[in-house]
Amino acid sequence: MASSNIYVGLEIGTSKVCMVVGEVRSDGAIKILGVGQHPSAGVRKGEIVDPETVQTCLHDALARAEERSDVEVNTVFLAVTGSHVKSLNNRGIIRVADEQMEITPEDLEEVKKIARDVPIPKENGYIHSIIQHYFVDGQDKVLNPLGMLGQKLEADYHIIHGVKTRIQNTIKCVREIPLEVEDIVFSPVAAAQVVLNREAKNEGALLIDIGGGTTDYICFVDGAVVASGCVAIGGDHITNDIALVLKIPLARAEKLKVSHGSASLKGVEAKEIAVEGESGKTVEQELLNQIMNARVNEMLSVIAEPLEKDGLLPKLGKGIFLTGGSSLMRGIDEVAADLFGIPVQKSGSASMSGPSALFENPQYATPVGLIRYAQLLDEQRPKKGTLSKLGQRFEKIFGGGK
Amino acid sequence: MIEFNEADIGEIPTDAAQGVKVIGVGGAGANVLDRMALEGSDDARLLTLNTDVRALTTSVSSDKIQLGATLLKGMGTGGDPSLGRQAALEAVDEIREAVRGNGMLFLCVGLGGGTGSGAAPEVCRIAREEGVFLVVFATMPFSFEGERRMTQAADALETIGRYANAVITFDNDRMGELIVPKDGVTQAFAAADKIISQSIRATMNVVFRPGIIRIGMDDLLSALDTDDSRCLFGYGLAKGDNRSLEAVEQALKCPLLDRGKLLNEAQAVLVQVAGGDTMTLYEVQLVMEEVTKHVGSGTQILFGTGTDKRLSNSLSVTIISSIPGPDSGSRVMPEESKEESGPVVSLGAAPAMAASVAVAPSAPVESVSPLAQAIDEAEEVPSLSVEDAPEPPALEMPEPGAPSEEDDDVVAIPAEDSGEEEDSAVFEPIGEEVEEEQPAYSPDTIPISPILSEAAGEPEDEESDFRNPIAQAVEEASGEEASGNDVDHVEAVTDSSQKITLTRMVSSGNTGRIKTRAPEEGGDASGPVLPPTKAPSLPPEDELEPSEEAKQQQEMLQLEPTSGKGRFAKTDPTIVDGEDLDVPTFLRKK
Repeated sequence: MASSNIYVGLEIGTSKVCMVVGEVRSDGAIKILGVGQHPSAGVRKGEIVDPETVQTCLHDALARAEERSDVEVNTVFLAVTGSHVKSLNNRGIIRVADEQMEITPEDLEEVKKIARDVPIPKENGYIHSIIQHYFVDGQDKVLNPLGMLGQKLEADYHIIHGVKTRIQNTIKCVREIPLEVEDIVFSPVAAAQVVLNREAKNEGALLIDIGGGTTDYICFVDGAVVASGCVAIGGDHITNDIALVLKIPLARAEKLKVSHGSASLKGVEAKEIAVEGESGKTVEQELLNQIMNARVNEMLSVIAEPLEKDGLLPKLGKGIFLTGGSSLMRGIDEVAADLFGIPVQKSGSASMSGPSALFENPQYATPVGLIRYAQLLDEQRPKKGTLSKLGQRFEKIFGGGK
Repeated sequence: MIEFNEADIGEIPTDAAQGVKVIGVGGAGANVLDRMALEGSDDARLLTLNTDVRALTTSVSSDKIQLGATLLKGMGTGGDPSLGRQAALEAVDEIREAVRGNGMLFLCVGLGGGTGSGAAPEVCRIAREEGVFLVVFATMPFSFEGERRMTQAADALETIGRYANAVITFDNDRMGELIVPKDGVTQAFAAADKIISQSIRATMNVVFRPGIIRIGMDDLLSALDTDDSRCLFGYGLAKGDNRSLEAVEQALKCPLLDRGKLLNEAQAVLVQVAGGDTMTLYEVQLVMEEVTKHVGSGTQILFGTGTDKRLSNSLSVTIISSIPGPDSGSRVMPEESKEESGPVVSLGAAPAMAASVAVAPSAPVESVSPLAQAIDEAEEVPSLSVEDAPEPPALEMPEPGAPSEEDDDVVAIPAEDSGEEEDSAVFEPIGEEVEEEQPAYSPDTIPISPILSEAAGEPEDEESDFRNPIAQAVEEASGEEASGNDVDHVEAVTDSSQKITLTRMVSSGNTGRIKTRAPEEGGDASGPVLPPTKAPSLPPEDELEPSEEAKQQQEMLQLEPTSGKGRFAKTDPTIVDGEDLDVPTFLRKK
């Protein structure tokens, strides 16, 4: 086990709490060891509103995950989302000291610090600062300027930030389990790790993760994150709409949505659907679809608007990837394709080895993505040379022996 | 260009150049002064004020005043602004003497410490009382110096802003990045001081240098005219064949400008090109073309040019501008700390520019229609009302305007009751949703005149709190002005101070709610947002005799609290483009 690492991803979603235990082999392959999930309660629009209830669900998910994977979970990577999460792009510029010329790691740190120094509201904290690319003395899109000669170093960063206290509340909730939170990750950033491959990121792709309470998106162009965000509308809203318009209870609306509903208005059969449990009450398929279509259309256009304004849509060579539980909805890809005018595909996490193909289900994109994210993070960390790597390995062995 | 009639626009006479004094307060201020002295100050006399006698003796400026000689016995203040203030008060006569008779004062100060934050506001007050045109260069502390010093600095800045005609702030945090991080610490601080002293010098030059196209104080003010602004400043000086381009490049390279990038965001940019007799029109044109490249299309360019024999065959380019500070957004939000900073601009501008009068008519309109908004931006209210001042009728306007603008009679109830109670607590038990509305509405009611008289009795303590600074400031402002308007001003003081107390009272009630509600409420009163409360809108006459009927109305509302949002009724609303997305799209679009 010395050469593999075990990571745990935790997503406290609006519809489910999901914990995925994954093993990263030395060759980089990920094996899912176990999944624990539990229907979520006390979460609204991606944010915890009732910590106690959430903790109950969390305990349950944890127990299942530990049982199935036979791993004792101590630390987790936590996915966060919520409408308070915002993003922006900023460029940092420094001048490299004259006598030095070569760009050093300190310079990169410095330029990152400057790029991060953007006016975000005082109550907000940074979640991610993702490098897009560097410019050295005006030279475009330098990927790794380390050791290059130059006087002026610029770096474009994509900065994701959110309200500190809201994020801390989520972390606190997890810590009280008790589980240590190793890092927090904005949900679509995690999901993108598994849904989008390198090719898609390079050619440009938009990932839309439609969950229960929120819809998160992240947009890649030229291999770099150019936009991301969260809209606090999700599958729950669709259910809610159906319930309110048809005046039926939420549970029945949910059933109706899953078993009969479609977001598409094309080729609708003129038929009446019986509402389960309500004797004699029927709903026209067309009406149901109209309700869903209106909501899905609006939801996607909220995402499309800013991207269109920035002229990003034409740059998305690979089109749109829909994921998340609500992307299982019928017709949603059609609606998205019409709205964005670019190809759309439904997609879960691809190519994982594991006990079952279950995890290719789009519902698990984010938690599985967390594992991949953890792996990437770890790869980046020990870049100090073989010696220290060796040292770390020893440390791990001895640490494990204790 | 023909000379301005300076007296009319409150400008200092050009021949007062010898009446320019640069004052450094506290350690940081003294450092800047020393730097200026080292570089050879032009015409201005330098005055250092400090509590610490040792620092004072090492200062090279021509005049020195020791603050708090008996209070502090030549020691520093130990970072306590109240000590700094007392020390300044002790030396008030000397300061007044030193300030008096100057046409213009530049005051540089490092805020955050005791002497700077404590004494500088006092010096500003004195300068203001003496009717001296005052420009303050304030340095904000590094954020690593801690929250406490930050607050002290912010507090001092507010007070300074009230007295000064223009305030230019330098953020030490930003200074840090201007300088190559590996520079020695002395070098770094010297560079920071240099930037400030250069700014002062350039500002003086810009204003006093005789010009073919002259730049006046009014131009300078409008270039700096954003409250809570961050000053952008660039200065370049070059000789030789390619001097125009080199100078402009140097100016843009100035760290505060961030290679001209920040100019994009500026509202107005002031550019002065100066040179010896050899300067050609073509060179000026080149410079301006270059500058224009960096400036947004909508930006106002205030241009000036002049010749100065001292420059001989070199050419100088000065760029001054301001953009909203990096944390202006966040500073707006918490508490009413910004309440005072509203007047910064208006007071500064009032004597100098007729423009502020032009603003006035629009102000009342703003304060009438989306009142919820006005409260939301509580800090703006005082400034608006100060501007309202010259036009007493503005205060009557809300009366006829109100019923139509929010066709909801719920408004009227709090008007009667909360006028005395100062709180809408009476209604709390009625129902959640209704209760939530209350604060959003009650602000509307308050400016609606009748309460003004009633409320005046009760929040007296608050009133006096607020009256002081603004009354003073307005008095001073009016003192400077030609008079005649005096009566208006005095009236305005009473009215506006009431207004302030009222708005404050509201904002203390339920600020968070107001903020989230405000956009939907104020923006458009169209139905979908809160159908139940809006729907049963009664004819406006009810507003005059609300009590019974309206109360019933409220209870009815409570019966059907929040249809239309279903399970999201109790969550934070998701509002995009003014639409509440929690309400089914299907129902909204129908």
